[in-house]
Amino acid sequence: MTNTEKKVSVWICQGCDIGESLDVDALETLATGDCGADQCSCHSYLCGDEGVELIKKDIEEGANALVIAACSPRFNTDTFEFDGVLTERVNLREQVVWSHPADDEDTQMMAEDYLRMGVVKAQKANIPTPLETEVDKTIMVVGGGQSGMTAALEAAGAGYEVVLVEKEDQLGGNLRKFSKLFPKKPPYNQPVPVDIDSKIADIEASERIKVHLGAAIQKIAGQPGQFDVTLQNGTTEEFRVGAIVQATGWKPYDASKLGHLGSECPDVVTNVQMEEMIASGQINRLSDGKPAQKIAFIQCAGSRDKEHLPYCSGVCCRVTLKQAMLARELNGESQAYVLYKDIRAPGQYEDFYRAAQEDPGIFFTKGEVTGVKDAGGGNLVVDMEDTLLGDKIQIEADLVVLATGMVPVAADGEALRQFQDAQGIVEKGEAGAQLENAKQTVEDLKDLEGTEILNLDYRQGPDLPGLKYEFPDSHFICFPYETRRTGIYAAGCVRAPNDADACREDATGATMKAIQCVELTARGSAVHPRWGDETYPDFAMQRCTSCKRCTEECPFGTLNEDEKGTPEPISLARCRRCGICLGACPERIISFENYSIDIVSSMIKAVEIPDEFEDKPRLLGLLCENDAYPALDTAGLNRLQHSAWIRFIPVRCLGSVNVVWIADALSRGYDGILLVGCKSGDDYQCHFIRGSELMGTRGDNIKEKLTQLALEEERVRVEQVEISDSGKLVEIINEFSEQIEDIGMNPFKEF
Amino acid sequence: MTETYVVKPDADFIHRIIDGGGGDLKQCFQCATCSVACELAEGQSRPFPRKEMIWAQWGLKDRLIADPDIWQCHQCNDCSTKCPRGARPGDVLNAVRQEAVQHYAVPGFLGRMIGKGNIVPLLLLPVILLTLALVLRDQLWDSGQGVLMYLHHEGFYADLFPHWLLIGFYSFFWGLAMVGGVVGAARFWQAMKGADRAAGWEAPSTSVMSSWVRTIKSILAHDRFSKCTSQAGRRRAHQGAFYGFLVLFLVSVWAVIALYMINPFIPGHDQDLIYPFAIWNPVKWIANIGGIILVAGCLMAIRDRKSGEKDAPASSSFDWLFLYLLLIVGVTGLLTEVLRYVAEPSGAEGLVYAAYAVYFVHLVAVFDLLVYLPYSKLAHVLYRTVALVYAEHSGRNQKSLEPST
Repeated sequence: MTNTEKKVSVWICQGCDIGESLDVDALETLATGDCGADQCSCHSYLCGDEGVELIKKDIEEGANALVIAACSPRFNTDTFEFDGVLTERVNLREQVVWSHPADDEDTQMMAEDYLRMGVVKAQKANIPTPLETEVDKTIMVVGGGQSGMTAALEAAGAGYEVVLVEKEDQLGGNLRKFSKLFPKKPPYNQPVPVDIDSKIADIEASERIKVHLGAAIQKIAGQPGQFDVTLQNGTTEEFRVGAIVQATGWKPYDASKLGHLGSECPDVVTNVQMEEMIASGQINRLSDGKPAQKIAFIQCAGSRDKEHLPYCSGVCCRVTLKQAMLARELNGESQAYVLYKDIRAPGQYEDFYRAAQEDPGIFFTKGEVTGVKDAGGGNLVVDMEDTLLGDKIQIEADLVVLATGMVPVAADGEALRQFQDAQGIVEKGEAGAQLENAKQTVEDLKDLEGTEILNLDYRQGPDLPGLKYEFPDSHFICFPYETRRTGIYAAGCVRAPNDADACREDATGATMKAIQCVELTARGSAVHPRWGDETYPDFAMQRCTSCKRCTEECPFGTLNEDEKGTPEPISLARCRRCGICLGACPERIISFENYSIDIVSSMIKAVEIPDEFEDKPRLLGLLCENDAYPALDTAGLNRLQHSAWIRFIPVRCLGSVNVVWIADALSRGYDGILLVGCKSGDDYQCHFIRGSELMGTRGDNIKEKLTQLALEEERVRVEQVEISDSGKLVEIINEFSEQIEDIGMNPFKEF
Repeated sequence: MTETYVVKPDADFIHRIIDGGGGDLKQCFQCATCSVACELAEGQSRPFPRKEMIWAQWGLKDRLIADPDIWQCHQCNDCSTKCPRGARPGDVLNAVRQEAVQHYAVPGFLGRMIGKGNIVPLLLLPVILLTLALVLRDQLWDSGQGVLMYLHHEGFYADLFPHWLLIGFYSFFWGLAMVGGVVGAARFWQAMKGADRAAGWEAPSTSVMSSWVRTIKSILAHDRFSKCTSQAGRRRAHQGAFYGFLVLFLVSVWAVIALYMINPFIPGHDQDLIYPFAIWNPVKWIANIGGIILVAGCLMAIRDRKSGEKDAPASSSFDWLFLYLLLIVGVTGLLTEVLRYVAEPSGAEGLVYAAYAVYFVHLVAVFDLLVYLPYSKLAHVLYRTVALVYAEHSGRNQKSLEPST
């Protein structure tokens, strides 16, 4: 559809205080006058049946681009969506009449500006054509432990073909080593047997699940719906799958790094070794084979420790309770000492803790273990400080169990890429500082060599990027299971430390995500979080300078490069449509049908800027539509008043803001620019992981530019809010507005 | 500097605490609600019963028996009712005290026998000893008339056991027991001192003498016991038994003094005028009042222990033995007196024999109570007093005195 064919029709709703607060006639005149819309009508209750019928009639009469000036686009979304018609919403309710005084000149100006922006966008945007991808809906599960087997069974149960890949020669994973687990149901007071065999039998019985044992993944190329997998298990096998669940599980933290806890002594073992001893039915010392009588369990061995694992694995306490109980069951004469920082037995597991406590042969004390020494004669001595017993104590033991935490069995894709790139440079032997740096990188990261699991053929690295503590998850509350590679979902202990029951739940969740992925990809829509979005980035490749910023900055590894190093926008099913590439591109060649440099620039320019002598500043607000925009809607709902000088444009992500928009705004005469995104950092809430962080970096460049233009750097401000921060957001807006009033008008206004 | 303490859990000790009424001690997770609930622990820098709970969990007998704080507790169970885990610290401390009594007992076998409830032979021992004393007296001094010949002469009860025999008999055995008791208490004192030194506590703040004076005053006033709120009734019961016992003890001592130290020096007064005390004699009045409040106190204590309320103290055979013995002493004492007034004028043979029988039981019970004092629950008279004196002396109940580490 081109602009010449477009018939833009504006509908203004007068309900919800809009009619009473604004001069709607003036808006109508503006729409068909200056704005150049083809038609404009008003209705007192547009979202009602009558209003919707009128719009439909309008569409029948040829309107194909609607501008609905009513409530926020977050309300009545379905009501105003019509097949084959472009709908653009102008938020007159929440962000104009509910947050500004009625019958006011400034409020009216604001409404008019928003109408101008809306009409411009409707004139410039196009209806998207969905991406066509031929989708294979098979789901591949990597890892055959508790999580992987559950995922395979869940996917097969939902009617999908499944390929289950396991590196060992048998299914079962870590649970194979365990004799018993802690309880899963009332009365929660004793360990229960492991039931892994029935699950294996279910897998073997399923016709939909194809199991590959002793297999390694040699390569995965392609994109969601079209992952081409090359498998190596004696022979090479190739097949195509649509989505992947990575359930590669965990390994214990490397106890050899815990020298201060006596890890070099033969009778100091990890909880995994202890699990094997219990399963064997005899807890004997490794040094002399004598039965252990005094067993000391050291909790948080290397966990919650900045030097080792900074996090809590959440299971070791319960594992120790279980092991102490089982050890006492095997040998009633033995004593078990549990030396803890805090016993973490959440929920009903308090009852499990109590059951262990009741045993007179299990002893608990809180404190810091400062060392484990070999006292000779087959005795170990554990030193403790700050104990509940009041002072420094020593405990004699003949076996020490280190309750080590869980480390994900994952490879850090981004670090591997750095390593491989550096290796390439070293091999080429190019001279200069670059070579020295590369040599250093190779040296630093050489331990990573050969750790690859998925072997993705992605420019950004062969495996999932590690996030917090190297777990390849995404934000644990907002986007569980979603890794930073679309179509690949993490489940179980590779995602976060879990117990066996939580792994089962995790696997179910991740499988649902994998199914969502193949189904939405087949429809040609974004998977998440912009599910249903049918736009995708279009690259005007003839103008590409191969700067690779889009490849680098994409948080999802969407782009590979051809031999010459030019980005190849061919695997667009990997794309999440955040627009970060659009924000990054210095040549401004990337655009979406309804979101492009030109569209947003035109909206910015559509606002009428009062001249210096009117004393009315104009501020531009670019709001992330995920959290900041809804927060402002909520503020309106609560009738919180914000400055009338500012004009907001929602953006897909703060990372999608191209610097040219800021330059345009400043030269157009805006006095200040406010950019509001989601929380970044370790507990980021950015829906696209790095968007607000990238904006922070670009913000520094902008400030530099402002200084070059002899403008105050305070004129551009980047802020971060959470979706619940409506009050804070209004404070930020008003405070920024006052600050700009103090600084004064933009001197470029007159030009 | 504190020494590093080598922890050696004593599994047997834990089992004994559990069997002695501290069955829930393992539930403690050291939240310290007990120490906040306890009015008596207020102001302590290392307040009880929290620390005692973890010592008990770990079977650290050496620490517990050298701890004066276990004796500061009256088992009112203010702590047990508030404990979020139902660990019942009050009852645990009671069981620990029982162990401490056993530990310091001299000779040890008596402590162990009573502690383990192996009491029948011990209770019957005075029956044999008293019978033996009667037979010996008959054979050696009265040329073998036969013991029953002494019943019902003019002096009534004194005919069976003349004063010299009674006083000599009880003084001898009680004296022996008290030597053991004092040695035990002295060992306890040394243990407390040793433990404080090892923990690096400050030098004592109050002299031993004034600590004794303050402690005795406090015991007489029951002012510490009155801080226990959960079982306020138990303070009254204890006061009854305590004052009853004290009055009767003092009256008995006074009787001996009157008999041998005053009477011989009053011209024209013979022994019969002193003993038995006449009904109008104020000493008799005081003794009777003492007997009644002793019995009342015992009955109240039994009622409290049997109430089944949440805050009712857990009671082992150790507790019950002492309580019933005390009750029997009181009841048989009063009955002995009543029967004398009934049987003597009437002269009815049956009543006379009944009176002598009750009297004999009374004598046996008094022996059990007094001679086994350092080994039974009554030992708290010794250990609690010594512990409170030490607590006063060492200043452990004052916040200002922190360990020097």
